Amino acid sequence: MPGLPVDLDACIERLYKRELLAEPVIEAICAKTKELLMRESNVVHILSPVTVVGDIHGQFYDLLEIFRIGGFCPDTNYLFLGDYVDRGLFSVETISLLVCLKLRYPNRVHLIRGNHESRGVTQSYGFYTECARKYGSANVWHHFTDMFDFLTLSVVINNDIFCVHGGLSPSIHSIDQIKIIDRFREIPHEGPMADLVWSDPDAERDEFALSPRGAGYTFGAQVVKKFLEINNFSHILRAHQLCQEGYQVLYDDRLSTVWSAPNYCYRCGNLASVLEVDDAGSRFFNVFDQAPENAENRVDQQPVEKAQVEYFL
Amino acid sequence: MTMPPPPTTLPTPQNMATVMPTAVDAGKSITVSSFKITTRKLPILNAQEIDAMTEKLGITPPEMIFGNNIVSIEKIGEQGGEEWKIEFNALDALDLVDKTGNDMLKVAYSAAWQKQRERMHEGIKEVVKPFDWTYSTNYQGSISGTKEFTETTDQIPLDKLRRQDPILFFDDVMLYEDELADNGMSILSVKVRVMPARLLLLARFYMRLDDVVFRIRDTRVFVEFADGLVLREYQEKEDSYDNVKKKFPPYRDDIPAIMRDPNQMAEYLPLKSVKVEKLVL
Repeated sequence: MPGLPVDLDACIERLYKRELLAEPVIEAICAKTKELLMRESNVVHILSPVTVVGDIHGQFYDLLEIFRIGGFCPDTNYLFLGDYVDRGLFSVETISLLVCLKLRYPNRVHLIRGNHESRGVTQSYGFYTECARKYGSANVWHHFTDMFDFLTLSVVINNDIFCVHGGLSPSIHSIDQIKIIDRFREIPHEGPMADLVWSDPDAERDEFALSPRGAGYTFGAQVVKKFLEINNFSHILRAHQLCQEGYQVLYDDRLSTVWSAPNYCYRCGNLASVLEVDDAGSRFFNVFDQAPENAENRVDQQPVEKAQVEYFL
Repeated sequence: MTMPPPPTTLPTPQNMATVMPTAVDAGKSITVSSFKITTRKLPILNAQEIDAMTEKLGITPPEMIFGNNIVSIEKIGEQGGEEWKIEFNALDALDLVDKTGNDMLKVAYSAAWQKQRERMHEGIKEVVKPFDWTYSTNYQGSISGTKEFTETTDQIPLDKLRRQDPILFFDDVMLYEDELADNGMSILSVKVRVMPARLLLLARFYMRLDDVVFRIRDTRVFVEFADGLVLREYQEKEDSYDNVKKKFPPYRDDIPAIMRDPNQMAEYLPLKSVKVEKLVL
């Protein structure tokens, strides 16, 4: 990569071994990634074959398992649907690796923004704490979260499959309305940008409904059908929701959820999947279980739940 | 997913080896002085099981729903059958969550969001099945058997529980957890430790709604095996987000970690109510 004072291949090699990059290297890589992402539209068009990955949440060993199952970069093209950080033990390693791969293979790796790629959410759910613990300061967290503001909001595969982290928005009928969003900012609490990373399908309804939480929407079968018709797409592909089977297909095969963090939080016991879209545009869920390294590497890290006998009161 | 068969060999106090917790197991138990303590930890529910639970409850279950997990304490009668039992499970706990929408809390930015939305999409007024989406429950266990608790002034004997008696059986079992769509967290889990002469169970519900409220609801069950004495204590602790934040020591960068840890948060929340009940088996 021109103008980047680091050897990306060397960085990637270190990261595959779960070695951290130095803070100035992270700073340089994030700055360069911003430049690259800035040129991407809010709706990036790509062609299959591509393997689509859902939430990872810092489960680094499961990300490596995905590469072992689906193929390493650049042999396999990847589209990641967001939620790279928080919750798992290795958010820093996970996002460092993904960003390096994006920089190294910009046309073969695509990263969409999830609701956890935000300053607010990462302060509560672990990424901030992990950065401070592993680097002794919050600087690295600032570099990464500043870069998050540049991640794209959606990808369209083969002009046919619409990919987003959360779901649809009542403010968006056509993808042209996504293209005009000013996305270079912290994820707001309301509006179309928030809806794209937050909303969930509700199979029991047809239209949009208000979430009981008092903020956010759920979207029903008719909403999906209308959106696909208007944009001349056949399918919506999203992540954002945990499912025990690793994936879920709704609305007469018009919408899929793909979940890629097996045994989520190292205790849910769920499966995970990646969705492979082949040359012809056919979809295939490749389901997998957690990586064996997870158990081995919990011991030396801060435990997710205390597995020790405890004289609690 | 099919239910795994029950365990064939049960650990007994005779071999005195501590039964250690594992991430997932099909069920394990220990019997001490005719009290049988059982725990079971299985994966979260699959789509079919979630549909079945949703229908039973009438509300959407939490994001991480461990509907097949249980913790139970059973008194075995003289004939060998079950005489009395208290069990903790997610379904019964969630059945006590308010389903009317009367106790609904709103996320901190709800007012601003609603205002904005009213300008944009006046047509969307319907709220999906209003219910207490913080999954706050006052669940104190599900009891089978005819004997009933009566209120008492007795207290759980903390001095006996502070002693480092050998622990024969320990487990920490999750019943449900939800991130409240990144507005905080709601978690119900049950810990149990069995010593040679007594046991303690703690079912703790912890809920943090960012910029709004912190809430803890604890049910403790204490059993003194020799007397067949069962004490159940239920406590509610709660305070506003602002009040709690004032109590945090200044300039600490691990405050987000503290706010994720119910055990540390218990120290920061004032007691709102407490009730102790007693039963002799």
